[in-house]
Amino acid sequence: MTKKGYRGLFFCALLGALLFRTVRLDVRPMHHDEANQAVKFGDLLERGEYRYDPQDHHGPSLYYLTLPVARLLADRTLAATDETTLRVVPALFGTALLLLFLLFAGGLAREAIVSAAFLAALSPALTYYSRFYIQEILLVFFLAALVASGWKYLQTRSLRWAAVAGLAAGMMYATKETSVILFGALAGAAAVDRILRPKAAPREPWPAAAVIGHAAAFLVAAFVPAWLLFTSFLKNPRGLADSVLAFGTYFDRAGQAGVHTQPWYYYVKTLLYSRFGHGPLWSEAFIVALAVAGSIFAFAEEPGKDGHPRLVRFLFFFTLLAAAAYSLVPYKTPWNMLPFYLGLVLLAGNGAGMLWRAGKFRIVKVVILALMAPGLLNLAAQDHRANFVDYANPTNPYVYSQTSLDYRKLVGAVEGIAAVHPGHRNMLIKVVAPPDETWPLPWSLRNYGRVGYWTDPAAAGDLKEAAVVISSAGFADPVARDLGPGWQSAFYGLRPEVVLAIFVRQELWDGYVRDRAADNPSRRGR
Amino acid sequence: MKRALGCLSLAAFVLVLVAAGSGAQDQAKEVLKLQLPKPMFVGTPKNIRTPNLENVTGKARGPFMVPVGTVLLSAGKPVTASDKEPVIGELSFLTDGKKSGEDGYYVELGPGPQWVQVDLGKPEALYAIVVWHYHSQARVYRDVVVQVSDDKDFVSGVTTLFNNDHDNTSGLGIGRDKEYIETSEGKLVDPKGVKARYVRLHSAGNTSNDMNHYVEVEVFGIPAK
Repeated sequence: MTKKGYRGLFFCALLGALLFRTVRLDVRPMHHDEANQAVKFGDLLERGEYRYDPQDHHGPSLYYLTLPVARLLADRTLAATDETTLRVVPALFGTALLLLFLLFAGGLAREAIVSAAFLAALSPALTYYSRFYIQEILLVFFLAALVASGWKYLQTRSLRWAAVAGLAAGMMYATKETSVILFGALAGAAAVDRILRPKAAPREPWPAAAVIGHAAAFLVAAFVPAWLLFTSFLKNPRGLADSVLAFGTYFDRAGQAGVHTQPWYYYVKTLLYSRFGHGPLWSEAFIVALAVAGSIFAFAEEPGKDGHPRLVRFLFFFTLLAAAAYSLVPYKTPWNMLPFYLGLVLLAGNGAGMLWRAGKFRIVKVVILALMAPGLLNLAAQDHRANFVDYANPTNPYVYSQTSLDYRKLVGAVEGIAAVHPGHRNMLIKVVAPPDETWPLPWSLRNYGRVGYWTDPAAAGDLKEAAVVISSAGFADPVARDLGPGWQSAFYGLRPEVVLAIFVRQELWDGYVRDRAADNPSRRGR
Repeated sequence: MKRALGCLSLAAFVLVLVAAGSGAQDQAKEVLKLQLPKPMFVGTPKNIRTPNLENVTGKARGPFMVPVGTVLLSAGKPVTASDKEPVIGELSFLTDGKKSGEDGYYVELGPGPQWVQVDLGKPEALYAIVVWHYHSQARVYRDVVVQVSDDKDFVSGVTTLFNNDHDNTSGLGIGRDKEYIETSEGKLVDPKGVKARYVRLHSAGNTSNDMNHYVEVEVFGIPAK
């Protein structure tokens, strides 16, 4: 492949990734977890407050990396931010991930890098979670940065790349404490590669001082960002120690997964074949098949003139070990597969690149490309469906505990009622629901002045003093009894099987219905 | 002098009253400061994709009394609908007597307001109508309206038995009946002995999606002699 063709094709892949990741970022209702992260970020944005929580929310990097974006968009309060402000952060990291592939030059052939870029750009899994305000895609980005800079370091033996690798490792840890699983898989892959590597001609040994200096640079570069971020820039000195103590929490949770328990083959099945009810078939088997081909090529003698089998073998061992580790943990959510999925994409890129190179004649190359084109087109179609059509449909395998589209009707009703209430957005709203049936209400009601949250109706005081009461379905009966007559009730879906009830003073509800009818006589219904 | 002192005293008294009055006004204007509890953070909730038959409220419906001789009138009776080509299933599922919540037992009509209609063959005295929309998942069907009539087009002689369309989405008038969560018990509507040949049930989507579903509709009454 010519340099010009390489650049042109890579730019096309990058542009595709950018479009798939950044267009209509507000299309999907905020997920429970995204709303949790957003409210946590709100404390940092409005009051400069962040305190690491060893029980939940993972590392601080997401919040601190969102801060400049919010400032740039002139958002000074959480109420001024919207879904796009927040989701653009993982979207940009999900796009920049492709740029890191360029650093694999010398380990992966040009055709392999371009192929991996296209596969990453069109991957439904990578795209879906690049549009999701949680830590996962940041973790994948810093993981790729660590592997790429590690590779560059092996090639150059420069202090600079050792420091960059350290920075990436530190940011991985500051993103998710559970990155220690990935550090283990990386170390394991390096060890296996060393054991199985054919004996090569002895190389000039590195001076001990240089090795110590580079190791120190790596460790310092890893420690400083993790230390600063976990300690909230030294305001919470025990933050870093808490992150280590959190291992106990997360490993307990991993072992006693409870509602997130899945069989060991969950990730493999999700990638290869997912179909629920009357929904469409989802499969990324194309990427998995190419990854298998790419792995086989890694053990062949012919690495390609600009490739190196050592990197591909390392990627193969890492992917295998990371996939095994994540599969053996009973706690599984679809976004947890992304780190080893990165390895699959790079291996698949190698597979596609090597197939491309296999043809010595132009006609053979054309035939190989023609055979791969339907796979790429299918991937693009699934990517579009996952992110712009079925983004909240439970038949989509990446939709997990997602807020229903119906929930937006509840938010719309509250807005309509506030419009006719004399206090408008300062009307008193009481939310009575268990925590897992409360979110994303705190995000959706962030610009209302008086909202209180209780997990028990008995603790919520006199419910009648509120203009609007929102309750879980389980509390709907006691809330209705407490309120008595004169209140209009309606139900709205929060998630599949989870319904919220709204109680509105009858005169307010009637005003809201009249107001809407007057605004647009042709538009009726919720 | 006495007069001057009297005037001064009066002025001082008025001043005190004004000051007290203005203080009272300030107090009346004070904003009540409420300390409202913040939401509790919690991890990723359970992902539910598998249908189940869980009853959400957990309360069984009490016995419903009907006149002696009341029988099921709707079994096998013809069904028509606003959506002539259901997305899933057949309209005949509504009166086939099968009420399982699994796939293959419900008919799915298109999105938005839709209706189904059972033809009892002749006017009968009705004492109970029970509808099961979809009970394998906790969801609420919107704008449920149950009407009866002897006119198959429901233009004249229409009696509305149940209406929870709170905002008149269906254009049949604002209803004051409560919305309810679907359960395997179905929703029982009391026709109070009204005589009619046709039973029409309206709905407009549900809390999980915009589609309309029916597993079964049962109409009970005393057959006309």
